[in-house]
Amino acid sequence: MKIPILRLGRILLVSIQEDLTDTEAMQFQSDLVNEVAEIEALGVAVDITALDVVDSYMARVINDTASMVRLLGAEVVICGVQPFVAMTLIEMGRDLIGADCTFNLDQGLEQLKTRIASRGDIRFAGDEDE
Amino acid sequence: MTQSLAQVLHSHQDALLEQWLRDLSEASADVGFAPVHPELIEPLRKLFPAIIAQLGQAPDAAVSPQSSPASPASASESAQPAASSEQRAALDAQLQQLIAEQARLQRNLSDTLGFLLHLKHLLLKALLSAADQAVEERAILWLDQYFEQIAQQTLEHALAQRDRYISEQSLSIMELSTPVLRLWHQILLLPLVGVIDTGRARQITDHLLEAIAKYEARVTVIDLTGVPIIDTSVAQHIMKTIDAARLLGSRVVLTGISPEGAQTLTKLGIRFGDVISRASLRAGIAEALLITGKRIAAMEAGTR
Repeated sequence: MKIPILRLGRILLVSIQEDLTDTEAMQFQSDLVNEVAEIEALGVAVDITALDVVDSYMARVINDTASMVRLLGAEVVICGVQPFVAMTLIEMGRDLIGADCTFNLDQGLEQLKTRIASRGDIRFAGDEDE
Repeated sequence: MTQSLAQVLHSHQDALLEQWLRDLSEASADVGFAPVHPELIEPLRKLFPAIIAQLGQAPDAAVSPQSSPASPASASESAQPAASSEQRAALDAQLQQLIAEQARLQRNLSDTLGFLLHLKHLLLKALLSAADQAVEERAILWLDQYFEQIAQQTLEHALAQRDRYISEQSLSIMELSTPVLRLWHQILLLPLVGVIDTGRARQITDHLLEAIAKYEARVTVIDLTGVPIIDTSVAQHIMKTIDAARLLGSRVVLTGISPEGAQTLTKLGIRFGDVISRASLRAGIAEALLITGKRIAAMEAGTR
């Protein structure tokens, strides 16, 4: 299943609905990084509300995706980590998800906007070429 | 009686030279070399007497007739030192000049070899036609051996020449490739272009640290747009550079990592930690300006 990447201005929104296979994960990651580079996204919100179970593989996929996106210069938040998921992740190891997490998408977007506002490249005179 | 190589050479010298140069100028596709470049004629003309002089000291001239004809190889080997070392040096210099000219004119090495081998062909023909009687076997062998030696020498010179060029070029690339630019007050820009190996990485770090110290830079923007492949070793080198810059109190902003680069780095398990990374150099510069508390603003109307 191809994961849709939604665009809200210069923020990208992706929602992972189910466990990904190896190929799906690779496809998802390369789609996302290409899109981030294409529009020079300022932020990416990864929503995992629909995931009831996150195993170590999925945790790594999410974490890797966050790292890639950060390398391309966008802020990342993981939204909607379920309480049960949080417990299992902590059981498995503390740093499984290194990116910032928020309770829901609303808070996630809020945080993204705050972080983007503190960056140098959006309050930049001479941006008229956009 | 058999006619010696030296005699043939001596009597036909001028005719041979003329024919050789004419053949080279009028070469067609089937002889295996392109027509000679006019500027190469002169070095070839100078080379000719040197070759003839050495050939004239063929074993049949230097070795006494009693020496066993059954071992021509050993006879000619023992005769080689007979060619005086000055003559050898002269020939060597001529060859070197020829190769240098050929390289300067961007001619093919194979053409030059073709020229020399064509001379051998001409000499052999002259030798065979000059003597109705059986030509001395030894003379032919010597001729053959001599030209093999010349070809080898030519090749060596050409390779040496090429090696010299390559090392000169890589040196100049090294010097050109790691400029540290002063972007603004306390902001440095390090644009990296090309493959980063250990030698270059060290040089880059050296240059950067020197510049940070000199300009008291608070931010360094490292632009990776021109780095084609980012693998573990490149990443490690960049990591070291960043760490070193941090020790001098300079923040580092990475820019221009490609989507593929980002995926590779992450899959290799390389984490750049809290380094700021931005998509474009433009965004990176904006970030650097923010850190130093500056901004680029539009001028007030009427002031320009």
